[in-house]
Amino acid sequence: MSETAEKAVQDFRRRDARDKLLGRTRYTIDRGAAGMLHAALLRSDVPSGRIARLDVSAAARMPGVRAVVTHEDAPGRAGLGIADHPLFATDVVRYCGEPIAAVAAESEAEARAALAAITVDIEPLPAVLDMGASLAEDAPLVHPGWQGYEVLTQGGARGGNVAWEASVDRGDVDAAFARSDVTVVESSFRVGRQNHLSLEPRAVVANYEDGRYHIETSTQVPWTVRNTTATLLGVPASAIRVTVPPVGGGFGLKFDCALEPFAALLARKSGRTVRLVNSREEEMLTCLFRENAEIRIRSAVAPDGSIAGREAVVLMDCGAYGGEQVFLTTMTAHTLGGNYRLGAVRIVSRAVYTNTAPNGAFRACNGVYNTFALERHTDEIAAAIGMAPEAFRFKNVIGDGDLGATGQVFEGDVLAPMLEKMAALRAKDPSPQLTDGRLSGRATTVGTWFVFTGPSAATVNMNADGSATLVTSGVEIGSGSMMQALPQIVAATLGLTPDKVVVRAADTDAAGYDVGVGGGRTTVSLGAASRTAAIEVRTKLLKVASDMLEAAAEDLVIADGRIEIAGAKGSGATIAEVASHGQMRFGPLSGTGSFAAAGTPAMAGCCAGHFIEALDIPVFAVHDCDVAVDPLTGHVEVLAYRVVQDVGRALNPSAIFGQIQGGVVQGLGYALHEEADVGPDGHIRQKSFETYRVPLAGDVVPVAIELHEGAPSIGPLGTKGAGEVPILNVGATVACAVANATGKTVSELPLTPPRVLALLIDEAQAPVFPHIRDRHADNLTAPGR
Amino acid sequence: MTIRLTVNGETREFAAAPMTPLVDVLRDGLHLTGAKPVCREGFCGACMVLVDAVPTVACLTPVALVEGRDIETVEGLTSGESPTPVQAALEEHDAVQCGMCFPGMVVALTHLTTSGTCEPNRAAVKEALVGNVCRCTGYERIVDAALAVMEAGHE
Amino acid sequence: MRPETPPEILLPATLGEALASLGERAAAPLAGGTWVMRAPLRREPFAPAYVGLSRIPELSLVEVTDDAIAIGAAVTHADLANALAGFPEFAGLRLAAGSSANPAVRSAATVGGNLCTADFAAADLVPALLCLDATVELAGPAGSRLIPLADFLAQRTGLLPGHILTKVVVARTGQRTAHARLPLRKAGDYPVAIVSVAMRVDAMERIGAARIAVGSVEATARRWTGLEDALLGEPLDGARTTGIAGSLLASFNGRDGVEAPGWYRVRVLPALAGRAVASLVAA
Repeated sequence: MSETAEKAVQDFRRRDARDKLLGRTRYTIDRGAAGMLHAALLRSDVPSGRIARLDVSAAARMPGVRAVVTHEDAPGRAGLGIADHPLFATDVVRYCGEPIAAVAAESEAEARAALAAITVDIEPLPAVLDMGASLAEDAPLVHPGWQGYEVLTQGGARGGNVAWEASVDRGDVDAAFARSDVTVVESSFRVGRQNHLSLEPRAVVANYEDGRYHIETSTQVPWTVRNTTATLLGVPASAIRVTVPPVGGGFGLKFDCALEPFAALLARKSGRTVRLVNSREEEMLTCLFRENAEIRIRSAVAPDGSIAGREAVVLMDCGAYGGEQVFLTTMTAHTLGGNYRLGAVRIVSRAVYTNTAPNGAFRACNGVYNTFALERHTDEIAAAIGMAPEAFRFKNVIGDGDLGATGQVFEGDVLAPMLEKMAALRAKDPSPQLTDGRLSGRATTVGTWFVFTGPSAATVNMNADGSATLVTSGVEIGSGSMMQALPQIVAATLGLTPDKVVVRAADTDAAGYDVGVGGGRTTVSLGAASRTAAIEVRTKLLKVASDMLEAAAEDLVIADGRIEIAGAKGSGATIAEVASHGQMRFGPLSGTGSFAAAGTPAMAGCCAGHFIEALDIPVFAVHDCDVAVDPLTGHVEVLAYRVVQDVGRALNPSAIFGQIQGGVVQGLGYALHEEADVGPDGHIRQKSFETYRVPLAGDVVPVAIELHEGAPSIGPLGTKGAGEVPILNVGATVACAVANATGKTVSELPLTPPRVLALLIDEAQAPVFPHIRDRHADNLTAPGR
Repeated sequence: MTIRLTVNGETREFAAAPMTPLVDVLRDGLHLTGAKPVCREGFCGACMVLVDAVPTVACLTPVALVEGRDIETVEGLTSGESPTPVQAALEEHDAVQCGMCFPGMVVALTHLTTSGTCEPNRAAVKEALVGNVCRCTGYERIVDAALAVMEAGHE
Repeated sequence: MRPETPPEILLPATLGEALASLGERAAAPLAGGTWVMRAPLRREPFAPAYVGLSRIPELSLVEVTDDAIAIGAAVTHADLANALAGFPEFAGLRLAAGSSANPAVRSAATVGGNLCTADFAAADLVPALLCLDATVELAGPAGSRLIPLADFLAQRTGLLPGHILTKVVVARTGQRTAHARLPLRKAGDYPVAIVSVAMRVDAMERIGAARIAVGSVEATARRWTGLEDALLGEPLDGARTTGIAGSLLASFNGRDGVEAPGWYRVRVLPALAGRAVASLVAA
């Protein structure tokens, strides 16, 4: 495709903005219909217990009640890597908020009244509410029957309360640490949970008709919903159709099956349409949080400032069921093990069961806190060896031909030129001097993220009116990639303007399999599949035009809605004419495309338990900020924030800038305000917007942004995902800046005013993890133990 | 009880329990789904409507307390499909992402840009918007759009 | 969960009718609704019925005379902030009314609601009125009476059933006043600690009689008499005030909350006292 074709589609404005502003967009929560039933879930109020008695007969007789379902209606177990998660608690409950029964009634009030009529006796069992308790000697097991669960992906070590373990071991780490000339630096970090707080809660409307379920839902992953619902209900996946209205925010919350199976069961049992929407409190208590984590990292640094050896232990709380954390153990090697050249490295990353609400995916999952830990550790190294942090980073960042932690060979010098761009960006608008008694600090950090590739499918139908219809299972969650990048890519390929490309909303009956919208993959994976499909259509159009114009196909040019003989403007026909002619002559023109991960290799034998051993498309980021810290109250104000982001190729700079501003602000929430933790009763303590504090308009600054283009990418037109990575090193950058401002060791996030004030007055307790053993090998689960 | 409200210029009468939050009456009773019940505690602003021209969190407003009053929802700000200056500016500034906050945001900004109660500067606009949570955009484009409308109004 | 029988709302046009309804129906007063409507989130039942105050004209008035200002109980925070715009002596109260919660809540939440909600420790108006030595008027079956705000706060759960707080009266004494609140974000949430001050300042800019109130730190706002005494004769200086206040914290027992631990609320008081005094210099 030519530069001109790309220019013609650049900066296409999203077509869904107008209706969203007019209040006309109908999200899943807005979809009601006459005769619809309303559902509600009975959830456990205790973190651990045996269900001695469950009797729903009285509830079933309550006024307006049309269906009641329990574990007897959903025999399956699902999961990622391990099938450990039933739809309803069966013999035991494992967390506060775990569903026990579901009711559908004529009104929500009647459904809730019926919940109160369910008899459930739960005998309390000992609970492990944090990873320290879970990994203690003789800790009660969250899943005593773990050995009996079906293993869906082979290779991860498991045992007791360790749901999954991924490890990396490359080079001779012991030898590196044993060198007489190295400086050994050890750091420990702890982070809390983060709630997505998407404004639209998880919500679903389900029907059962003609032997099939139709699930209309607010999700990022229609195919996961289809397949997981089928597994849990014990029905064929082909019996389930999933469609997705506009999604009112996801951020990873909706990257898993959620309420859909409950609504599907109730729809089948009642024969009616069933709506189920989480209350805000249910969302607060059971959202699939970014997990709390505990990290110990040690490095052996040579006198020249190179990193001879590194070892790290990362504990990730998966909550009561493995879920996404099983997969995310994979990411530690690429995030905590990323950014820098390492002589030798060993890392273990463990997903740990606790009797708490399950955690899940959240924008730049795992990377956010591992980057915080890595970058704070990096600053501690620089201080320990007396090197400026910028110089240390410049010397050690991954460049062309360097090995990553898993032995992957990286291509291209990306981070070093980005660091130079950041220095220039900062020079344009230097740090302000404070005169109000506050402490000032600044920091620059680097980060490594990736595009979650994986399978996608697309079909492009060329219509006789000159428009094209793109059919995929992609979902518009707000990022705009379905509204902008995909029609732009198809339009550029077909010589159309993007407004001529209609994008079908996800429907698993209409489009092929897709991993889902998340992991920065929409533009890349769905984009590549869409481009392939569009190329097939273009080839067919040119062939038809070649017949019509009596010219060789290779002499034809497709642009501006026309197909012309090269060099003879006006000689050809409109695309509509060609499509119409082709349709009459050969039948409607269409093309299909598909995409799958490239399978970039790691070094043989150095990883165990990883779902992704090497990154197909690495994405890099350099962040910088200035902060002011109030020494009397601990308030941190971000005065300026700067981002240099590797985007491969920017198809829509305005959209990317919007993602960066939004992602950075979400990261500022994680860094400074957003705290979610588990109380002694096993409930999440922050139950509402009052106590869970996201950034408000007064708390943000305009981010200064520079895009770095040209880094290698297998994405279509050289693109990379740009929406996920902006949050990656915000926690890291703010933490490093606060450490610089205060001269204190920052080991925890978020840096709320009480936590910062405790640091300032030397009352903060450094994280101590007795359950992380001193010897690295003692943190590994022997397979089959 | 029977409640009578003027909604978007039209008098509507219907039966509702008096403590029913106004947002539920608008959505369930009148099918005006623009206002979103998100936090139901007055902190997010997604359910904001104008009551006698004052931005009001409809989640904390018992319908009986607004009996006989003039309610304007996001749907009522426009006639037909032409956007208001606020909506046009938000579109022009490419501010929209998931969109859930915008019905309330548009109501808040409509008041802010027309009531003369807010100084046309960033700090004042941000202070006036602290009751409208947006989880996607990081706010700055929304502030830009508001300032553009206020500046255009002063020309 | 919704109750089986939703509560009624009565909307009397006079105070007399309102008081009669309270007695007959075991009803509770309802003003802006911003607290009552969140009862389900607090797992609290609604009252069997509510008596709305919005149609009783005198409750929505702010009356200013040369000697005093009388604020009707149903006056909203936003209306109070507007009404005080021309009165620099009430800068503290105006800031309290104009910066609590967020704009939409301020245009619904009322003065009476703020003073009568015993479980709402972070109320902005309470310390702001306490340092002004306000008096509240309580109407009941036996008539109306005036009660000093401090006494009302100490006994309000016992005093309120069957009664309606009708107005708050504050004398105009020409003091300088300030309100320093500490939300965890820039704005938009409840303050974790508040220091409100009212002071006489002599011609040499030295502090004379001072009343200082602390809110949100303990369950109920109260005066900080130790600091009031210590500042007597001191220059109007924020940093110096912070220094003096630092050694006068022993009497506070901060409340632990999800948003902030008790120690933090106490520890930030000297800074807030300093900010409040510093803003008087600017005044």
